[in-house]
Amino acid sequence: MKKSLYYIVSLLVLIAMVLSACAPAAEAPLEEPVAEEPAAEEPAIEEPVAEPTPTLAPPTTEEVVKIDFWHSMGGDLGGIAIPQMANDFNASQTQCYVEPIFQGSYDDALNKLKAGLQSKDTPAVMQLYDIGTRLMVDLKVIVPVQDFIDRENYDVSDLEPNVLAYYTVEGKQASMPFNSSTPMLYYNKDMFAAAGLDPENPPRTFEEVWEAARVLTQKDAAGNVSVSGISMSIYGWFFEQLLAVSGGYYVNNANGRDALATEATFNSPEGVAVLEWWKGMYDEGIMGNYGRANADVRTAFYAEQTAMFIDSTAVLRGAMDTVAGKFEIGTAYLPRPNEEAFDTSGTIIGGGSLWMISDRPQEELDCAWEFIKFQSSPDQQAYWHTMSGYFPIRQTAYDVPLAKDWRAQYPQFETAVNQLHLAPNNRVTQGGLIGVFPTARQTIEAAIEEVLAGVATPQEALDKAAQIVTDAIVEYNISMGLD
Amino acid sequence: MDQNIPQTALTPELSFSSKFGKRGRQKRAVKTFFQAILYLSPALILFITFVFIPLIRSFEISAYITDPIGRLAKFVGLMNYERLFQTTTFMNSFSRTLLFVLYTVPTTILISLGLALLGDLRLKGISVFRMIFSISIAISGATASLMFLYIYHPTIGVNYLLNLVGIHNMTWLVSQKTALLSVALTTVWLQIGLNTVILLAARQTIPEELFESAMIDGANSWNKFLHITLPMLSSTFFFLMVVDTLAAFQTFTPIHVMTKGGPLESTNLLVYSIYREFYFNGKYGFAASQAIMLFFIMLLLTILQFVFVERKVHYE
Repeated sequence: MKKSLYYIVSLLVLIAMVLSACAPAAEAPLEEPVAEEPAAEEPAIEEPVAEPTPTLAPPTTEEVVKIDFWHSMGGDLGGIAIPQMANDFNASQTQCYVEPIFQGSYDDALNKLKAGLQSKDTPAVMQLYDIGTRLMVDLKVIVPVQDFIDRENYDVSDLEPNVLAYYTVEGKQASMPFNSSTPMLYYNKDMFAAAGLDPENPPRTFEEVWEAARVLTQKDAAGNVSVSGISMSIYGWFFEQLLAVSGGYYVNNANGRDALATEATFNSPEGVAVLEWWKGMYDEGIMGNYGRANADVRTAFYAEQTAMFIDSTAVLRGAMDTVAGKFEIGTAYLPRPNEEAFDTSGTIIGGGSLWMISDRPQEELDCAWEFIKFQSSPDQQAYWHTMSGYFPIRQTAYDVPLAKDWRAQYPQFETAVNQLHLAPNNRVTQGGLIGVFPTARQTIEAAIEEVLAGVATPQEALDKAAQIVTDAIVEYNISMGLD
Repeated sequence: MDQNIPQTALTPELSFSSKFGKRGRQKRAVKTFFQAILYLSPALILFITFVFIPLIRSFEISAYITDPIGRLAKFVGLMNYERLFQTTTFMNSFSRTLLFVLYTVPTTILISLGLALLGDLRLKGISVFRMIFSISIAISGATASLMFLYIYHPTIGVNYLLNLVGIHNMTWLVSQKTALLSVALTTVWLQIGLNTVILLAARQTIPEELFESAMIDGANSWNKFLHITLPMLSSTFFFLMVVDTLAAFQTFTPIHVMTKGGPLESTNLLVYSIYREFYFNGKYGFAASQAIMLFFIMLLLTILQFVFVERKVHYE
């Protein structure tokens, strides 16, 4: 009998285990939820600046409308800054009470929203990454903030036009930008000086970066690299940005902004040139490869194992706090293919924005709008900016004393602000608008890995990736009834 | 003992019913049946809700393409299955998974056997060592993966120590040549605890008399190990092999935490691939077809293990 018992037990275990992988959307296959590393745009802040005020008790009276705010900010941003802002909002309100809920990474939050839509378990306000924009609009589960802007003639003239443009779909402001950042070049000024380079005159073009990296790289007698000239994690966002500053479109129909995108176009000469630059430095042994983890590249920079790296403007504060004067950090614009490119194109304003979910009752949406307006106010944006290193989404936030002091303390952030204002507002800098962006990003990352491993040339790898992304776009368009 | 047909276990023992007439027997059988159902109902309800309905649903979804939140959009028949074999994703995941099973299962069982035998020594304070050997039971997969993520860290991890002794540029998770091995090492470490405990328990149920009489016959320790310990543990080995293989086929957590399937898809094991297609890419139909394939592969493997390996297993 023992034999048959084993048989049955194993079979049941087998069936149960397999099916946990293909059960409908609500259950995740992971038994213990893993707090993922926050999205890359997110800074790693080491020390809290201020303790949050004690959380206000939830309302007991019935007149107060309670709304949920889902966000994806880990670390101190989610632990201190967001609760602080929610508390301040609640203290300023008699009608509304907002409760911030951390939902893991943007991908996790999006999956929870997908599941929640079926069980009516949705938030009134949700923070989501830039690349989810098309998907949120197509799912028809959101109320465009444009409706509320129009309703009360809310003044948007003070908001950064480049940032607003990213979240404008078919002429409507779909969501309200909240946390925005771009990538830039970080470098070790002490190493620049030691290598005979001018620390105040950082490289600006692909070629200059290559030359500087060559000079900065240190190898021991056996040829082992002890300091890489430059390092970059294999991150699709960097490719998107480098493509944009080169003036290339990610997808057709002017990045999917003139009309629905139907085809990936990043395998253009501009895209290929980006990967050839990347691959060239890697083959020469002057570009460090730390895989896909942004944090590992930063750690290498802190440990002085790489002289330059590319990362979000939002990690500046974390970097300066961690290095704490051990060496001097310099910041420079994201490198361009040539000098002329500084005039014709620029970086894409990514990050995250706040969405209103349409299946909530009207009074909740009214509160959601109040909360979004509060989050966009100069004082809150200045606080958010100084806590994180994200851009304020409005100009007047820079004039708030808090923000002024902060920039005096972190002058390197000037580069980030200048880079934002340098970028012309056009179809390239508005970024690609497709519903399958997470897939596309991951496909690009695989392509970069192929190129670095020497399995494929930049052209081959990008052609293959473009085909995969085009197929995904087509299938998406069919499944959403868009074609 | 040679019958492997599962029904033998499910057929109720009806020999007592000969006392009754034909009608009585039928009545009795019906009553027994409903009694059985009643006793089984808690398990049945759980299985129907969480296993059988999702299974049927998976078959259904695998015949459609869906929109990004999983609503069925278009019936495509077997297209998703055709795609499995036309694209490299599935075949790559399948071969990487087989390799992963090969790396982890024999290694885990062998190391655990060694530890279990060590833990069986009659020494003062042996229970401390037993605890150390089995400590990884108490550690969740996610925690272990995070620990190893730091151990493999290119700058601050074990590489720092290796640098000090002159070994440079160990790639661990960064290179497609070493990533799967690195993940396998984590899994082996994690599984050793449970395997050791089970083997140790099994070792201790072997009657001492067997060893004593062997000793009288002049057997040395090697002979005792070869002719008593190993055969008496064979059913446990078999159990562990089945369970470890199934677990290895379903490895998800270390991949999700450590590599996300990269670099170059070298750690994109089947379950992770399903997860990525399902949750990340929103291709629910394609993911479901992969899940169904995984189901059949594992069914086949389990049957093969029972048919071929079990013959050599010694049961008491």
